[in-house]
Amino acid sequence: MRELRMGSGAALHGLRFGVCLMVMMVSGVGAFAQDKPKPVKIKASAIQVDMIHSDEIKLPAEFQVSLYEDLIEQLQKKGGFAHVYREGDRNATSAGELVILKSNVTGFKEGSQRKREVTTVAGETSIKIHCVFSDKDGKTLLEADVTGKVRFFGGNLRATYDFAKATTKIARENFSATT
Amino acid sequence: MDESHDFQIVRPDQGRSRMRSLAKADPGATPFKVVVVKGLQGVKDNTKGTLIVGDGSMHFAHEAVKKDLAANSIEDVVTGDDSQRVIRGTVGTLSWFAPYGAGRFLSLFRTKLDTVTIKYLDADGGLHGAILAMPVGQAEVIKKDLLAQGARTTVTAEDLAKAPAAGAKEKQ
Repeated sequence: MRELRMGSGAALHGLRFGVCLMVMMVSGVGAFAQDKPKPVKIKASAIQVDMIHSDEIKLPAEFQVSLYEDLIEQLQKKGGFAHVYREGDRNATSAGELVILKSNVTGFKEGSQRKREVTTVAGETSIKIHCVFSDKDGKTLLEADVTGKVRFFGGNLRATYDFAKATTKIARENFSATT
Repeated sequence: MDESHDFQIVRPDQGRSRMRSLAKADPGATPFKVVVVKGLQGVKDNTKGTLIVGDGSMHFAHEAVKKDLAANSIEDVVTGDDSQRVIRGTVGTLSWFAPYGAGRFLSLFRTKLDTVTIKYLDADGGLHGAILAMPVGQAEVIKKDLLAQGARTTVTAEDLAKAPAAGAKEKQ
């Protein structure tokens, strides 16, 4: 009985210690989260997307067009910009707080949908693109390397959708109509 | 502003009659069965329809959706090729659950496709891109028709003729 009491006391002590440790950890994580500085967003109400270029890499025309169209579609849906302009759009010149996005393909591997579907592990398509966000005067605001991939299911052009989603996420995290 | 660059929204009955009148007016204007993979303004992705090139324009029709695109607004026309699974759609998706890797096996059976990629300008000067897919052998015909109507291209027939020769040299 005594032993039992001692045992239960020790267990209770351990439990208290565990609870204290958990509280400390949680408060520590909370404090860490509070200390983490939030990225300061750049004010931009409109974005102009230029046609994707591939100066060094030979990129099929359908991939170039698909990258451009997917990027515009994603930015319109989820970019958080009031206006998304296409390259050459005359309305963009009068837009205030305009960001211009230029993209250049730095790597491209055209896989095979047949290989992906048959083997699962082979036939990956990947596109690596260097994106530069700049202001109207050409001053670079942000640069990022983004990769679009299709590993398992879907046609090769799905890699362009993957790229568009990733780039839109970067734009959303770094630019805002209201800072 | 160049009005010829504008898209026209045409009523279904108007569109059908226009297609017929176009085909009658220009006997050489062949209707092509195409799929708009993406990018044609106002047309949903993967829409099947009929394409007629003639009268200085490219006309696409699918039930209620009619689109006219002035050929001189097309900055670039490029052809390509692709392939797709013979068994597609719901049956194609369900085939993935078939036993003994039958879905994978069915992926080996594919049909070849031609693609036409165009870049064109809208009324505001904004650059668009569109990808069309069609049965093998039609892409070059569509490209030729578009060029005859005033579209431009960055890849000429001479470039294509040179390309295999260059490829053969590299192999050697």
